[in-house]
Amino acid sequence: MTLSRNWPAWVAIARTSIRHRYIYRFNALLAILFTGLQIYLLTVVWKAAYGDRTEVDGIAIGQLLVYLTLAQLQLRFLQMELDGDIEGRIRLGQIGFDLSRPVGYPSQLLAAAVGDMIGQLPMLAVAFPIALIAGELSGPPSVTAGFGYAAALLLAWILAALLNMLIGLVSFWTLEMSGFRMIYNLVGNFATGALVPLWFMPDALRIVIQVLPFQAIAFVPVSIYVGAPATGALWTALLLQATWIGVLILAIRWIWGQAFKHMVIQGG
Amino acid sequence: MERISIALALASASLRSEFQYRANAVSSVIGGVIYQLTGFLVVWIIVDRFNTIGGWSLAEITFLYGMRLTAHGIFYLCFSQMFDIDRVLISGEYDRFLVRPISPLLQLFTRQLRVNCFGDLIGGAALLAFAARGVGIDWSLAAWTFVLLAVVGGALVEGAIQIALGSLSFRFLSSIAVRQTVNEVFNQYGNYPQRIFPEVLRYLLTFTLPVAFVAYFPASALLNRTGELVVPAWIAWIAPALGVALFGVALGIWRKASRGYQSSGT
Repeated sequence: MTLSRNWPAWVAIARTSIRHRYIYRFNALLAILFTGLQIYLLTVVWKAAYGDRTEVDGIAIGQLLVYLTLAQLQLRFLQMELDGDIEGRIRLGQIGFDLSRPVGYPSQLLAAAVGDMIGQLPMLAVAFPIALIAGELSGPPSVTAGFGYAAALLLAWILAALLNMLIGLVSFWTLEMSGFRMIYNLVGNFATGALVPLWFMPDALRIVIQVLPFQAIAFVPVSIYVGAPATGALWTALLLQATWIGVLILAIRWIWGQAFKHMVIQGG
Repeated sequence: MERISIALALASASLRSEFQYRANAVSSVIGGVIYQLTGFLVVWIIVDRFNTIGGWSLAEITFLYGMRLTAHGIFYLCFSQMFDIDRVLISGEYDRFLVRPISPLLQLFTRQLRVNCFGDLIGGAALLAFAARGVGIDWSLAAWTFVLLAVVGGALVEGAIQIALGSLSFRFLSSIAVRQTVNEVFNQYGNYPQRIFPEVLRYLLTFTLPVAFVAYFPASALLNRTGELVVPAWIAWIAPALGVALFGVALGIWRKASRGYQSSGT
């Protein structure tokens, strides 16, 4: 019921963030260029590490290069700015308007994230050729891998949005977040496995990263794409992602309840 | 001499102002260290698993990485404000620089301090100290002096390029995209033994954009690896001097470009 009633509100919020992306299109292009530089460097370094070997631990060099290229490309498009937006709106007191709307705040954020995603899509026309030139891309080894990846990518997007929202909600407690967010982003970025796939991590590090949700954003979907699913089988990989989504939704609900009680609306 | 003492006074004022927000400043420094360490972690994991990259051992690559990072930290400590030149010009802040009796460039450099440069310096020094024993260098006074000269020279190379490119802003008002891209290339491509790159790229990173001079050349000289370079060994040894020379050229470019300054009137 609420879905049909709130639909226009969500569409309006999503539209705003599409426009927002468009305004900052130049920054987005620059970020894509940086991703291209990174992809090229990663593929060269990993090729040098492989040397004459064509396969290490069951992972062929071709698979690895496609993995690195796709993981970086995908991560570029899963970068979200909900956390910064939340902080900014709290700082300026605009959060009061957001909360007075008849649509729940977390769902407003989700609508904004959807709009943001749609706003980014045209950038694929630039990012895709750059990734092709800088790295290596080829089709998935099987139809299952292809469809499995599509499903896993959708789940990865939801996960990225939820994680980003969760961090943003911390702003309800403290506004001195920039240092913390930087650390979080860096650790998170590494833990996605986009720079070093989990196959090649030392055991101790891999175990830590496997219990964190970040790997489900890059390593899990992209390893499905190259035909070497993280958990060994496609369905368990998808299940892992779905479980994390469930956990994060519960966490956000709980934290949002606490945050609501805690809130201070700053005068404008 | 007087200029130096003024510069130091201005720099220490901006340091104090950063540390007014102590928690944020400290977490920025920690963030800086973690940022660099995650970058290094990638290299460390690869070498740990595959033994070498391009024939360089873990200690050697760590040494190279540490040199580059320290040089970058010095660069960022002294010249980070080059990244703000567009804003300074557009907002008219540059007008204020012109009416004060010291060089506008010096005022720009000391206008604000980005504390995450300490993250680079701490990270870089830690990597150098960690790698120093494993690289098989005879650590005489001369060797340490060379390292010191090399990191200062490396900082000057990065500084020279950013100043030269920043001069474009006098004409075009915005050159931040070019400078950030170039900085990104230094940050990403400067940390690896360039031997692993295709030959065209190696020449480009030597003669077009002197990334190789920041750390790869001096590190190769110390590690006795000049045989693999695209230039003769003596060039690797004089890399620090090249930093000074490039910096001089960049200052000349800046001076010439800044004569064309037109206030934005804001």
